[in-house]
Amino acid sequence: MPSSTSSSESEPVILRPVPELRWPRVAVVALLLAAVGLGGWEAYWRVAQQYEASYRNSDGQWAEVRRRVDAGEPNATVFIGSSRTLFDIDLDVWKEATGVHGIQLALEGSNPLPVLSDIANDDDFRGLLVVGITPPLLFLPGIGHRAGVLEYYYDETPSQRISTRLSYPLETTFAYYNIDTKLFTVLARQPWWPSRPNLAFQQPEVRKLEHMRRDRQADLWERVETDPEFRAIVTGTWQAILENLPPPPPEEVARAQFQALLDQVAGNVAKIRARGGEVVFIRPPSSDVFREVERKITPRERVWEPIVGAAGAVGVHFEDYPALSDVRTPEWSHIAAADKARWTRALVGILQKVMTERGVHRPEVGS
Amino acid sequence: MLFNSLTFIVFFAVVLALHNAPLPWKVKKTNLLLASYVFYAAWNPPFVILLWISTLLDWRVAKRIYAEQRLSRRRAWVAVSVLVNLGLLGYFKYGEFLLENWQALMSAIGVAWTAPDWDIVLPVGISFYTFQTMAYSLDVYLRRAKPADSLLDFALFVTFFPQLVAGPIVRPTQLIPQFQEPVRASANQLLWGLGLMTLGLFEKIVIADGALAPAADAVFGAAKPVPFLDAWLGTLAFAGQIFSDFAGYSTVAIGVALCLGFSLPDNFRFPYAAIGFSDFWRRWHISLSTWLRDYLYIPLGGNRKGWHRTQVNLMVTMLLGGLWHGAAWTFVVWGGLHGFYLGVERFFQRQFGGAKIATTFGFKVFLALLTYFLVNLTWVFFRAPDFPTAWRMTRTMLGFGLEGSELVLSTYLIAVVVAVTVGILLVHGFMRNRRLEEVVASAPWWLVGSVWAAMLFLILIAQGSGDAFIYFQF
Repeated sequence: MPSSTSSSESEPVILRPVPELRWPRVAVVALLLAAVGLGGWEAYWRVAQQYEASYRNSDGQWAEVRRRVDAGEPNATVFIGSSRTLFDIDLDVWKEATGVHGIQLALEGSNPLPVLSDIANDDDFRGLLVVGITPPLLFLPGIGHRAGVLEYYYDETPSQRISTRLSYPLETTFAYYNIDTKLFTVLARQPWWPSRPNLAFQQPEVRKLEHMRRDRQADLWERVETDPEFRAIVTGTWQAILENLPPPPPEEVARAQFQALLDQVAGNVAKIRARGGEVVFIRPPSSDVFREVERKITPRERVWEPIVGAAGAVGVHFEDYPALSDVRTPEWSHIAAADKARWTRALVGILQKVMTERGVHRPEVGS
Repeated sequence: MLFNSLTFIVFFAVVLALHNAPLPWKVKKTNLLLASYVFYAAWNPPFVILLWISTLLDWRVAKRIYAEQRLSRRRAWVAVSVLVNLGLLGYFKYGEFLLENWQALMSAIGVAWTAPDWDIVLPVGISFYTFQTMAYSLDVYLRRAKPADSLLDFALFVTFFPQLVAGPIVRPTQLIPQFQEPVRASANQLLWGLGLMTLGLFEKIVIADGALAPAADAVFGAAKPVPFLDAWLGTLAFAGQIFSDFAGYSTVAIGVALCLGFSLPDNFRFPYAAIGFSDFWRRWHISLSTWLRDYLYIPLGGNRKGWHRTQVNLMVTMLLGGLWHGAAWTFVVWGGLHGFYLGVERFFQRQFGGAKIATTFGFKVFLALLTYFLVNLTWVFFRAPDFPTAWRMTRTMLGFGLEGSELVLSTYLIAVVVAVTVGILLVHGFMRNRRLEEVVASAPWWLVGSVWAAMLFLILIAQGSGDAFIYFQF
C-alpha cells in the first residue's frame, strides 16, 4: 500500500483527459472494420461450415421452459433425460397425438435424476413426467455437463432473464452466435496443437449437434447426417469419452450407491404420485459402439430393469419394440431428424397401450 | 446487472438518451439515481433496501457530526456510521465465517457446539459501497469535507451505477462536486468513453474469461497435484485473469461515467511493472489501497510511531485488507504475505536504499521480475479454494514437487497462457511511466481505429459466457 505519512487533504475531483484525436473519424473506422470482420466471420460459418442460426440452448432458455411447470399447465407433460430425450422426442408430433404441448427439460450430457428430484419437490407439478434413461449417465456425480442449470434456474436474476430474451433475436439471426463457434472453442480444437504426452484425459468439446427451437424442440443437425467428415468428428468424440470412462467403484460400494439411487428414484416417484402425477421411463435407441459399451458397462438387467422395478412405473425400452428400434442413429446416439416424428408417434402409441394395460389412466396421453 | 450483458447495453442506451435529453439537471440526476437503483435491483431487488439504509444513515450521521462541536459526541456519531456499515458487512459477508470459526474454537476447547445454518445471500458489491459511505462520514468527522448540500447528490454518490458494485471506491470529494453543476459529455468524451468501455470489455471477455480462465480453473480445480510447469502456468493465468477481470471492470466503469460526463479516478496503473510492493500497491486497486491508507493505516499511527509500530501497522492493514476480499483465512494469508513483503521491503530500503546499483536499469528489471514472482506466490492463496490446495501449489511452484502429479494443461492452454502473460508483461513494462491517454494521443488515428475495431471484433466472436466479474463476490 502507499506509505504516506499523513493524508489530511481530501481527494480532489480528477478531470479525465481525452486524447487529442479526431474521434468521429476513429469511431467510424472502428465500426466499419469491426462490421467487415464480423460479416466475414458470419459468412465463413454460414457458407464454408453450413451453420445456420438457431437457439443456443442456454440455461436461460431452459429456465424459461422450466417455468411452464410452475405455471401449472393443465395435463403438463414434462420430458427429462439426456440429449437422446432432447433430440428424439418430436414435440409437434407429441402434441398432435396427445393434444399436449410437452415441456422439454432434457439436458445434453446430463443425468436426469437431480432434475427428477427437483420436479418431485415442485408442488406445482401434477402431470406426467417422462424420464429418458441413458444408462451410463445415471452414474454421473450430480447433473453432469449442465451442472449449473438448476442453480441458475433458482438464482436467475431479473437481468439474466432480460438478457436471455434479448439474446433470442441474435441467436436466430447470426449463425456464428453459437456455443460451438466461440473463438476460444474454435482455437482449442485446431489440429495444429501438438499433443502433450501423459496429459490427463480431457473430455473433448462436443460439436454442434442440433438445431433448436425456442420451446427446446431440438432436431439432430442435418450436417451430422450428410457430412461424413463431420460425423466422424462426432463419433470420434463419443469414442474418446467411452474409452476414458472413470473406473467403476469397488463392487460393494457400487452396489450401495446403486441401491441409494434406486431408493432415490422410488422416493421421488412416490412423491409425484402422491400429488396425483405419474412417471414413466423410456430408453431411447443407441447403436454401434455406443450401444456395445452401454451393454457392457450398464447391462439392461442390472440397470434399466431395477430402476423401472423400483419405481413401479411403466418402462418402454426401445429393444422391445421394432417400431422404436427401426430408426437411423447416424452418430450412434441420436435419431435422425427425418425419423423422429415416426419414432415419437410410435412411442405415444406404445405408451398408451402399455399404460392402459397396466391400468394407469392418464389424461396427458389418453391412456 | 453485468457490464458484459445484453441487458446492460439496452439499459445504458436508455440512460444515455435520458441524460442527453433536454431536461432540467435535477431531473437528470434523479434519472441517474433511479437508473442506479434499477441497475442494482437487476440482481436482487430487495437488497436495494441496504443501499437506502446506508444512504440515509450516513446522510444523517454526517450532518450531526458536522453540527456537533463536542468531540465525544462527534466520536459517538462516527462510531454509529462505522458500526452500522461494518455491521451490515459483517452480517452478510462474515456471519458464516465467524460462526464456523467460533464452532472450531469451541471444539478445540472441548465444547460441543454446532453453528446454525447461515443461508444468507451476499449482496453484490456490499464491500464497496459500505466503504464508500463510511468514507463520507469519516471525511466529515476528520474535517476533510463538508456534508453534501443535497440528499439527491449524496444518494447518487452512494449509488452511482458505473462504480457501485466493484469500484473504483470513490471519495465524496471526488464525486459529489461533479453532481452540483450540469455536465454532459462532449462528443470526444463520449467516444473516448465508449473506447474505454470496449477496452474494459476486451480485457474481461477476451483475456480474462476466454484466454486465461480455462487454464487457471484446470490447475486450481485439479483433483490431483499438478507438476511444476502446470502449477506455474495456472498461477500466471490467474494473475493475468484477475488483473484483466478487475482492471477491465474499472475501465468500463470509468468509460461509462465519462460517456455521461463524469470523471472517475484510475484504479490500476499497470501493476505488473511494479518495482517493489509499495509501488505495486500504488498501482493495484488504488482506490482500496488509498482508502486503507487514509482510514486505517494512518489512524493506526502510520509510520510516525517508530520502526516496529510501522511494521505492525502495515501488517494489520494488509491482514484486514486481505479479509476485506473474502471471508476465508486464505485471503488473510494473502494479505499477510503482502504485509510481510512490504515490511521486508522497508527493511531493505532502510539498509541499502542509497546503493548505486538500485538505480541501474538491469537491477530495476530484476526487482520488477522479483516483485512479479512474489506477487504470483500470493495469488495462489487468493485463488485456491482451500489451504491444502494452496500448500500443494506453493510447494510445487517452489520446486518441491509431489508424487502422483498429473498434467492438466494441453499445449493449446500452455501456448495461450505464455502468449498472453508475455503480452501483459510487455504492455505493463512499456506503460509503466506512461498514461494510456498520452499513448493513444500520440498514435495515428487509423491505428487507434484499427485497434478499437480488433477489440470489438474479438469481443463479438469470443461471445463471452456472461460470467460475473471476480470482484463482485467481494
